[in-house]
Amino acid sequence: MTQTKTERSVTINPGILCQPIGAMQAVLGVHAAIPLVHGSQGCAAYPMRMFNRHFAEPVEIALSSLGEDAAVFGGADNLVKGVHALAARRHPELIAVITTCLSETIGDDIDGILRKIDLPVELVPMHTPSYVGSHVTGYDNAVKALVVKLAEQTGPTDKINITVGLLNPGDIRELKSMLEIMRVKANILTDISETLDAPLRLPRPSFPTGGTTLKEIADTANSLGSIALCKHAGGGAVAYLANKHKVPMILGASPIGVANTDAFLENVSKLVGRPVPEQLRRDRGRLIDAMIDVQFKTVQKKVAIFADPDVASGMARFVHELGMEPSIVATGTTSKEFVKDVQAIASQTGHEIEILSGCDLYGLQEAIKADGVDLLMANTHGKTIADDEGIAFARVGFPVYDRVGYQRRAIIGYNGGINLVDLITNSILEHGDVS
Amino acid sequence: MPLTLLECDIPIPEREKHTYIKKSGECIVPMCNVQTTPGDLTERGCTYAGCMGVVGGPVKDVIHLVHGPIGCAYYTWGGGRRQNLSDNPEFHRKYCFSTSMQEANIIFGGEQKLHKSILESYERFPDVNGVFVYATCVIGLIGDDINNVCKKASKEIGVPVIPFSCEGFRGVSQSLGHHIANDVIFDRIVGTKEPDEVTPYDINIIGDYNIQGDLWIIAPLFEAMGLRILCTFTGNASIDDLAMAHRAKLNVMHCQRSTPYICQLMEEKYELPYMPVSLFGIKQTSQALRDVASFFGLEEQAEMVIESEIAKVLPQIEYYKEKLKGKRVFIYQGAPRAWHWIKLMDELGMQVIGAATTFGHTDDYEKIIERIGDGALVIDNPNSLELKEILVKYKPDLFISGLKEKFLAYKLGVPFVNGHAYENGPYAVYSGFVNFARDMDMTMNHPAWKLIEGRT
Repeated sequence: MTQTKTERSVTINPGILCQPIGAMQAVLGVHAAIPLVHGSQGCAAYPMRMFNRHFAEPVEIALSSLGEDAAVFGGADNLVKGVHALAARRHPELIAVITTCLSETIGDDIDGILRKIDLPVELVPMHTPSYVGSHVTGYDNAVKALVVKLAEQTGPTDKINITVGLLNPGDIRELKSMLEIMRVKANILTDISETLDAPLRLPRPSFPTGGTTLKEIADTANSLGSIALCKHAGGGAVAYLANKHKVPMILGASPIGVANTDAFLENVSKLVGRPVPEQLRRDRGRLIDAMIDVQFKTVQKKVAIFADPDVASGMARFVHELGMEPSIVATGTTSKEFVKDVQAIASQTGHEIEILSGCDLYGLQEAIKADGVDLLMANTHGKTIADDEGIAFARVGFPVYDRVGYQRRAIIGYNGGINLVDLITNSILEHGDVS
Repeated sequence: MPLTLLECDIPIPEREKHTYIKKSGECIVPMCNVQTTPGDLTERGCTYAGCMGVVGGPVKDVIHLVHGPIGCAYYTWGGGRRQNLSDNPEFHRKYCFSTSMQEANIIFGGEQKLHKSILESYERFPDVNGVFVYATCVIGLIGDDINNVCKKASKEIGVPVIPFSCEGFRGVSQSLGHHIANDVIFDRIVGTKEPDEVTPYDINIIGDYNIQGDLWIIAPLFEAMGLRILCTFTGNASIDDLAMAHRAKLNVMHCQRSTPYICQLMEEKYELPYMPVSLFGIKQTSQALRDVASFFGLEEQAEMVIESEIAKVLPQIEYYKEKLKGKRVFIYQGAPRAWHWIKLMDELGMQVIGAATTFGHTDDYEKIIERIGDGALVIDNPNSLELKEILVKYKPDLFISGLKEKFLAYKLGVPFVNGHAYENGPYAVYSGFVNFARDMDMTMNHPAWKLIEGRT
């Protein structure tokens, strides 16, 4: 049974955030870049607070500061003044101008306004009205805007491009570790592993070290190929590079679990023409060892998964590998592609999966009530559902701020799989302890 | 040279007007309550945040329906659950309602979607006593007639449906949102119900949002003096509490930035006087209890309460005083806590070397400047670069601010206490003062600071 759209007009306990915050996260993974939100006060302050909570890191978000005057007369003056002030005070290498429902409805021509500004800083317009899509599409639009603006053919390299999607610093560290083991050089779009998980050492650098450099973004036009770890969040950029610069593309399943990680490594292996090394085979073996060890604790448990589309579908395949039943697989972003992906998992594995696309957590809870599951995997907001329904709860996704450390640990790759085995099994065990 | 330009502000010299170094005998107030400079790395919130997040949101038995695209509703969801405590946690702050306006609704208008959303929400939560509808930015631009929709829906469902036109762009900060919420609650709710009984000792506590349970340690003090609390505005308030608030004999006003409006309106219409108080620290709290007691002729009762409360906390406060005296602190709060807490720090023998507010008005800065020591920095609506410069240059022993500044302080190696949502609060009155002092001591003496590479 597939329900793709709720019948309700009202959204109760939303499953998505707005486009601008997704775009901001993408920009925060670029070295010495600052998002400049073209909107009102809350459009900067609220996402900032969300990042603070999830990543436990400071972030800088600039604002064009639209008030009543701008709502009537347009926000061009604010934007021009804002870009100049930010460039002069902060000397970033890149300023991403991120629109909002306010500035898109006012109708400011930000592309035209930015073209007329002559400053030694890359200015990248990003169109992210909050009344379209979700944080996932906002991230996708942002990464695409970066390559559209910066990617430039200068001669082939032996690198590959990887768009990460809305994952965490821990995931990117795991990704880099896998690539290092394979001796693969990559342009990672965008790399929050240092910028949103910076060490505490003094003096603090003006910009966090790390992040994707502008040179790396420019170089994406010259790579052997591109892989989108999350096709909904990064796939747009990968498709653009394929069309415009003829860079072969792979819109892979997120490398969550054994089969998906196998497929990812095989793809990398094919692109660079080198086999998957022994060390990664050992990691794979350790993951499977962990899965077998916990089998009597996980097997046949029914799971409801709520996450962004590619994480949710990746997770569905993994819980199947764990011998669990992915009974409900849900995402807040409306996507036919997601439905197709999960349907494919259902037909390959023989599980009957209720697929919810574009759902809110109220809808998810209704489905859980009807189906009866043992475990819910969702962000922090899933906690009240798990409490109400008396089921085990494992935190995945964004935001997770009612427990510490999620953002530090990978969920991708074989090592991420081991983390997930522990997370899932321990949450089932803890639930067993109390009930 | 009383006004000063921080180094990071050289490219935006207008910030000089917002930045003042206190000098005795002078009467200068930094520029405040104006639009944030474009391009600023701002910490400020919007009108919607002040209206929904601060004043409206704590009301515990209504559906808070946000009319606009999804983001604004999400950002105010649940976060306050552990902060604006209420005795209705099974509903309050657990749910988040939004019309989640889509592109087609922006083009063709969102009135129908709003109307259906109100009915659908109420159908699912029929135990609520009202619906608050908050309009976000885009609603003001497309011109939905939310008043009319709310009126119609209210008739259909039989409970008040109250519209708040609190579009984010309307004001320069949260402050206008507070004002809008005050006006709407006064116009549409206050005076619409009568209490079963009134006593000569009824008060309202206005301007407290029950952060980590502040109200639950404030209220018993007044009750012990023989007073009855009719309404708390708006921490843990029900819509009926607000409706009957006009029958109190005195409004005791704590947050003097977000609620003077409703106090003044109630005074004009109902001849209900109000009394501003500070309920932080021993001295200010005792003064507040005495002031309120003298209004009711309960002086003796007040002295008994004060004596017993002080006896309970004094040994601990004396202990922390020893550890905290001489420490230099920088306070950045919404507005009134900056000046409430200058006196509280005095009581602990700490020195306030700087004070800032997000949305303070002239009267807030007058109070800060009157209370703060010579040479201290007073800055309005500071941005993250200014905060960094202040923390690095002035090297306070402690920074007290909110979540958005917390991790900046940490990354600079500066001990920090969250004064907005608290760490291990509540922080109000006597027992909260002990919590506050303990948290300040805990962060300043945390062993890990000493391990930071390069910290001098």
